[in-house]
Amino acid sequence: MSEELVLSVQNLTKRFGGLVAVGDMSFDLQQGDLLSIIGPNGAGKTTLFNLLTGQLRPSSGHVIFRGQDISEDSPQARAQLGFGRTFQISKTLTSLTALENTMIGAFLHRRHLSEAADHAAEILGMVGLAHRAKVKAGTLTLSERRRLEIARALALDCSILLLDEVMAGLNQKEVDSVIELVRTLHADGLTVLVIEHNLKVVRAFENRVLVMDFGQLIADGKPEEVLSDPQVIEAYLGKKSA
Amino acid sequence: MSKTETLTMAAPEKPKGKARVTTLRTELVRIAGIALVIGAAIALFRSDPFVLNMMAYTFLFGALASSWNIIGGFGGQFSLGHGVFFAIGGYTTANLYFHWQISPWLSLVPAMILAMTVAVLVSWPTFRLKGPFFAIATLALNEVAFVLANYFDVLTGGARGMMLPFKAGLENMVFTSRLPYALIMFGFLIVCLIVCAFVLRSRLGYYLQAVHIDEDAARAVGIDVLKVKLTGMAVSAALTGIGGSLFAMYLRFVDPATLLSIQDIGVKFLLISLIGGVGTLYGPLAGALLIIPLEFYLRGSLSGVVPGANLLVLGALLVIFSLFMRRGVVGAAQTLWAKFRRDDHE
Repeated sequence: MSEELVLSVQNLTKRFGGLVAVGDMSFDLQQGDLLSIIGPNGAGKTTLFNLLTGQLRPSSGHVIFRGQDISEDSPQARAQLGFGRTFQISKTLTSLTALENTMIGAFLHRRHLSEAADHAAEILGMVGLAHRAKVKAGTLTLSERRRLEIARALALDCSILLLDEVMAGLNQKEVDSVIELVRTLHADGLTVLVIEHNLKVVRAFENRVLVMDFGQLIADGKPEEVLSDPQVIEAYLGKKSA
Repeated sequence: MSKTETLTMAAPEKPKGKARVTTLRTELVRIAGIALVIGAAIALFRSDPFVLNMMAYTFLFGALASSWNIIGGFGGQFSLGHGVFFAIGGYTTANLYFHWQISPWLSLVPAMILAMTVAVLVSWPTFRLKGPFFAIATLALNEVAFVLANYFDVLTGGARGMMLPFKAGLENMVFTSRLPYALIMFGFLIVCLIVCAFVLRSRLGYYLQAVHIDEDAARAVGIDVLKVKLTGMAVSAALTGIGGSLFAMYLRFVDPATLLSIQDIGVKFLLISLIGGVGTLYGPLAGALLIIPLEFYLRGSLSGVVPGANLLVLGALLVIFSLFMRRGVVGAAQTLWAKFRRDDHE
């Protein structure tokens, strides 16, 4: 076990009044892992995601990042530590250009405009948006905006990338190209956590998958094992088809 | 035009590596150009007191709207309370000059610091409010300041105001001719534009814009939203305070009804910015160049006939701009320019 523990989620729970959105979840993420978390609508995926990125504070349990308890840290503090994230409904800064959007990430560890611009231009090249650098983010296509969000997160020099349904609303060809991008980033050593509704995407990654339903972890393993698990099929398709 | 075309022809298909953004140096060159044109205009009308008076007002309000634009435009926090910082500047300089004969040039410093301090203190709680709620809270602030200024007559002369003694001289910032005033306001305008350029073309400027567009996205890239807003507000209020000082010395009279007037001060900065192009670097100046001379004309030609008609025209203008030119004069010009360049390439 020479792998370094990056993220450790311990008995994480979030209650909204009487509703348990995330109940007693625990899992670990090693350096260089690519982990997918799937589940049907309302399973608590986005709540879990918000607990990890600091948008929400847990009712109980802990989020440990490289040995440090960050459960109560703000989103900006987590970004400083090395969290990069995208949003389910993409939040690009529409009136700024693609380059400027990426620069806003780059400024976190770079004070000067020229440094930030150079770094941002490099990152845009990495995600395949170099030719769109001067275009306003508002006029980009949906799949380009998703790439741009990934670029902005990468520009933070993040050590863990959290993707919240980045494939939602994309056509098959675009999904394939984003999968390819995530694979490349992972191959370069980035730790990636993907929250996804789309089962096809999870299958394509061939890495460890966690399945959530009603706020609980119901399966953990390789995609082929998990997707043939009767409990998972039931969660997605209902009892009859299981 | 042909030069850039040959460059793109020679370059490889996809522009890799260095993609450019507008830098501070470019903006400073533009500001120098603006300074030259305005300087020439002052030279041309140097012996016409009516035009010089109009120019002094135009430059002062162009500068103040530009200052407002730092937090209101770049940062998207629609403050209607900037009249408070303006009044603080005005009263500070007036008091120091009236009671202790301290040169207004020196009292610009305490005026600036006091305005900035008050701005940070009152913004700390109000920045929790978003959008229209923030605007309403700052409007209330202006009203509270109005009541206080009337009440504490030791500091402000109350509702009767304070008349500042006429002792002409450079050290007193009091002049017999209108030309020095126009030049002072011109200098202040250029200083404000340079500060705005420094802010916009720096990390702070980009952070303010990020906060303006989406606070959640801003936090996710490590931005301390409150700190960025407070920094923007501090810079904005500091300049507004200086503007208040200069205004007090120009009128040589301060009273609550003038300094804390909603329609002539508090909302004016926002109105000028909106018409010129809110959030753009030169929009507020463009707005002032349009609005202030128009107001002078309307006041002269209309208010004698129908009292308050100048306000009616301004109101109508604002409605038209918010319906058809949301990004103001500068925004519309940018759109046209972009369209022109696209056609040019085809």
